Amino acid sequence: MDQTFDRRSALKAIGLSAGSIAAFSCSDREEAARLQGANATTPADLDWGKAPCRFCGTGCGVEVGVKDGQVLAVRGDVKSPVNKGLLCVKGYHLPSFLTGKDRLTRPLRRQADGSFQPITWEAALDEIAQRFQSTLEESGPEAVAVYGSGQWTVFDGYAALKWVKGGMKSNNLDPNARLCMASAVMGFMTQFQSDEPMGCYEDFEAGDDFVLWGNNMAEMHPVLFSRILERKRQKPSTRIVDMGTRRTPTTEYADLYVEFRPGSDLAIANGILHLLVKNKKLDQAFIEDNIVFRRGIEDLEKIGYGCYGDQAERYTFKDEAKEATFDDFVAFLEEYTPEKVEAISGVPAAQVRSLAEIYGDRRRGTVSLWCMGVNQHTRGTWMNNLITDLHLVTGKISRPGNNPFSLTGQPSACGTVREVGTLSNRLPADMVVTNEEHRKKAEKIWGLPEGTINPKPGYHAVDMFRALSRGDIQTMWIQVTNPWVSMPNLERFERSPNDGRFIVVSDIYPTPTTAVADLILPSAAWVEREGVFGNTERRTQQWNQLVPPPGEAKEDAWQIIQVAKRMGMGHLFPWPENDWHEPMFEEYRSFTLGAGKDLGSYQHLKQARGLIWPVVDGKETPYRYAAGIDPYVKKKEGVHFYKAKGYGERAAVWLRPYHPPAEEPDEAFPFWLCTGRVLEHWHTGSMTRRIRELHQAVPKAYVEINRADAKQLGIQNGDVVKLASRRGEIELEAVIDGRGQTPRGSVFVPFFDESRLINKLTLDAMDSISKEPDYKKCAVRIELTT
Amino acid sequence: MSVLKSALIGVVLLATACGGSEPAEKVGVPGQPGRLKSAGWVRAERRAFDGAPPVIPHQRFGPPCLSCHNERGMEVAGVGFAPANPHADTDGLSSRSRCNQCHVFRITDEVFVANDFAGLPQRAVPAARSYIGAPPVIPHAVFMRENCHACHDGPAAREEIRCSHPERVHCQQCHVPVTTRGKFLE
Repeated sequence: MDQTFDRRSALKAIGLSAGSIAAFSCSDREEAARLQGANATTPADLDWGKAPCRFCGTGCGVEVGVKDGQVLAVRGDVKSPVNKGLLCVKGYHLPSFLTGKDRLTRPLRRQADGSFQPITWEAALDEIAQRFQSTLEESGPEAVAVYGSGQWTVFDGYAALKWVKGGMKSNNLDPNARLCMASAVMGFMTQFQSDEPMGCYEDFEAGDDFVLWGNNMAEMHPVLFSRILERKRQKPSTRIVDMGTRRTPTTEYADLYVEFRPGSDLAIANGILHLLVKNKKLDQAFIEDNIVFRRGIEDLEKIGYGCYGDQAERYTFKDEAKEATFDDFVAFLEEYTPEKVEAISGVPAAQVRSLAEIYGDRRRGTVSLWCMGVNQHTRGTWMNNLITDLHLVTGKISRPGNNPFSLTGQPSACGTVREVGTLSNRLPADMVVTNEEHRKKAEKIWGLPEGTINPKPGYHAVDMFRALSRGDIQTMWIQVTNPWVSMPNLERFERSPNDGRFIVVSDIYPTPTTAVADLILPSAAWVEREGVFGNTERRTQQWNQLVPPPGEAKEDAWQIIQVAKRMGMGHLFPWPENDWHEPMFEEYRSFTLGAGKDLGSYQHLKQARGLIWPVVDGKETPYRYAAGIDPYVKKKEGVHFYKAKGYGERAAVWLRPYHPPAEEPDEAFPFWLCTGRVLEHWHTGSMTRRIRELHQAVPKAYVEINRADAKQLGIQNGDVVKLASRRGEIELEAVIDGRGQTPRGSVFVPFFDESRLINKLTLDAMDSISKEPDYKKCAVRIELTT
Repeated sequence: MSVLKSALIGVVLLATACGGSEPAEKVGVPGQPGRLKSAGWVRAERRAFDGAPPVIPHQRFGPPCLSCHNERGMEVAGVGFAPANPHADTDGLSSRSRCNQCHVFRITDEVFVANDFAGLPQRAVPAARSYIGAPPVIPHAVFMRENCHACHDGPAAREEIRCSHPERVHCQQCHVPVTTRGKFLE
């Protein structure tokens, strides 16, 4: 060094160093070092790509900063109309969900001794294909099943749908989204004969009153809630109404908090409708032009709850749509006086009147928002119907700031499950397997002979796992979900490996579900592969692969295609191995064109920060059914529910009565149990618990107990208590006056913690129409341990 | 020659001390024995990567966050100085916003599973000047950090990033954020 170092630069170095010391400034020296070429990694050194967030259904845009094949940072995408640069704490910590030490990187096969040993992809795929093939041959298409996810990309879901329905001629394809928003699907289908909301997130800047039905939006959809809070700051007359069975962080921001007994929301909604009729607040002209009335089966005995008697093995109740009139509607509502509603719900009659004033005020825009509280409900479809009824009879629909808006919990519950149709009875773009024309259309697009698609719907999620327990399903593939944490009444589904059934699980980390698998496949996640998600507001968002997956991990769609090819079903996936995403998407897109569900082209999606369908002539549709906005509406003004052919292109207002919950507290089990989520964790926690900052904020599940109840039981904050239902028991730490406060006689437990499985206690009662389980209401008792 | 040599070693050592190794290092304040420079270290300790929202370094107190973390910050008896809210001028955020949407407490040091994540480092990137005496550029993004005073002014401002002239409130009159490393023309 001495030899090559010339005197001049040495003197320069001394000069710099002396100067720096004199100024006592480190940054000047650093600056000097940088001028000489030393380079720290800064945001400007990363390659930034776009992607939607991996977690909830909001679909925030994130920019992903990549260097040397690693995600080093994310930031809110200011160009995204969803979040405008803001994220929540989960979104900000996205990068480290990819890098947990126990990431699955090789296929693993269970051995005779119960241990897992790595095997090659070839061996794994061969065995899966052989198992599915032999089960099909020996026991038929009812004995195979694929259990998927609202976290599937559109590619994964479409590949699974085509393989199961077009290849294996089975309809045993259902997703975890059945546990999450199936009731919203059936709500929209029964009223508009087309799924998904009519409004969009711009409703948050246009509405005056935001009515949250059993929805802790501050924690579950924080970025959307921040848009409402900002609306309130800019327009202080904005009101937030929080309706719930428990005080949550959302309640702190509410102008009106309406606390009701679990399940009594049905009575409240009918009570509001009663008052709207009584007070002549209906929009008669709108009803005249756009509404029909329908009534379903209301006999409690006949409907049941899906968990008692014969229904505990298979629940197949089917509703009927009987015609009704406006007069029937008025007569039906007669009994739901505010006083009766008060008696059922515990909500003061005056509050019911306040709610009716909100919905009946034509000068103010009203947005109803709901998520799991309404959907995970033994009469969830009815509740969806009733909330939408409130908007239909007042004409507060398909206009900015006036919409019933169901929120989704998974990033592509809409894009993949609802739009692609990865449910046991559905096909893409609102089509169903029970309709011959629909089957023919799908067979034509797929180039399959007529009669290929099975017209008999398969098992819905809960029945699918019941059938697996019985042994009726012998071979099952589970992707991107964790049912051994998330299914209700978990003890029912306990399984020992090597019991004659064969379960394949594709995931990125070990979970209680991989623990019961026979074969585990390592998956590529999020920006480790190319993908498309569809969010709650009908926005389809595409992203490119930005980093390589770890080890031998592969994307889920690829895994399905490889197995299909080994089963002689390669004709379903005729695209080149190195370039199949775009042609697959364009084939799927052909289902949507002209159906009122038109997706943007793949090239357009690659450029855009998401596009809200229907996309016609390259233009998005922020409000469906609205004249002048929705290109399918030919009217000059007002709305046109053009998808509801069965109702004469009108929307249906349903008459839905109050039914009590499936299980209520009694002497032996005196407390209501409600389960749910926390801001920091997402679903079963397999990703968010591996993020240090999130785990350190909420390391374990707990039970929220009312202060007065705790005092009576001698329970102090932090005590370990035993919580038991008729089905199971677990121990948890008690929290009194934590972030949520339960009313007397009820407790709340989050479900993210795999070592404290609250779903051992929950009841597998279901919504009568959507077959979505009710995780929000069952009876438990509390005991103080030692 | 030996003088030259030791000076060179000194330069190398100083360079290493300032910006060389990983972010969690502690660097002394020249001329003040025992005092540590802390901006970079504190940033790293509380953030997953440069740009991630910091976790909350204190226990849960009763009042709303913004009653102490107001626009100017506040001395809280027995705890320390609560820095000002850096988002005071951020579009879409206000006193109505929910701080816990992005900032969470750290109630344990344990982890569920070890994690290999090494994010964008938190080193205090020096601000470039075109010449000695020119106002340095802003070396970080300003979105969500529009209130410069939160970090660069008041008792909570770390020594090495404390502004010498906080009374001149319109910071971006002279200091501009760097948004690209590209050049318009050579």
